[in-house]
Amino acid sequence: MTKNITAGAADRRRAASSDLLGPNSEIGRKLKQYYDELVSDHVPDRFAQLLSQLEQAEPAQKKD
Amino acid sequence: MVAVSQGFKTDLLGSIPSLRAFAVSLTQNADKADDLVQETLVKAWDKHESFQPGTNLKAWLFTILRNEFYSQMRKRGREVQDSDGIMTARLAVHPAQHGQLDLKDFRGALEQLPEDQREAIILIGASGFSYEEAAEICGCAVGTIKSRVSRARARLQEILKISGEDEFGPDAISAQVTGSNAA
Repeated sequence: MTKNITAGAADRRRAASSDLLGPNSEIGRKLKQYYDELVSDHVPDRFAQLLSQLEQAEPAQKKD
Repeated sequence: MVAVSQGFKTDLLGSIPSLRAFAVSLTQNADKADDLVQETLVKAWDKHESFQPGTNLKAWLFTILRNEFYSQMRKRGREVQDSDGIMTARLAVHPAQHGQLDLKDFRGALEQLPEDQREAIILIGASGFSYEEAAEICGCAVGTIKSRVSRARARLQEILKISGEDEFGPDAISAQVTGSNAA
């Protein structure tokens, strides 16, 4: 019981310090959920192809 | 002209998911976002020599992507800027039910923010950048980023009608804690 209250107070202190978008904030959690969903989206092949094309278009590569 | 190293290419490939996420956050449009990422990769490739190995590649790429986004917006006469009128009307957000905030509603709310606030809250709250890094990416002062994040957060709370999620917690519990401290 006492432990719970202490933990709760610590959580609030942490949130109050600077982390207004941390795990204690609903906005913070949603923001990460929104973004993580975007990051985990399948990357279309066009990007790997683009980089290969850029690589091939390079002037003769010199090794040193 | 120094050849692009394999490592640089691998790192570019590895940053694509983050770049796409940031691009969607900025443009709010999947097709425009992918075009923006493509432009960013081409630019990054062309000026790879200006990247200093050992520094934060992701921040460097985000800077390029962001500059590209704003330069395209300027060319188009900032058609996206009017986020307060049309979009607000179209995206009426329903109050959260059962205290659970729907991701779709959140997305709608995010879309209503002005770009500068949206990018700031994304960089800090989702992309994992520090205030200093975000300030560098956006080419502004750290204090400016802080105030944008804070305004963005307040605006989102307002749109989504979130209340009582403040850093101070519900009054009843605060009182309880204060009481136990005093005892």
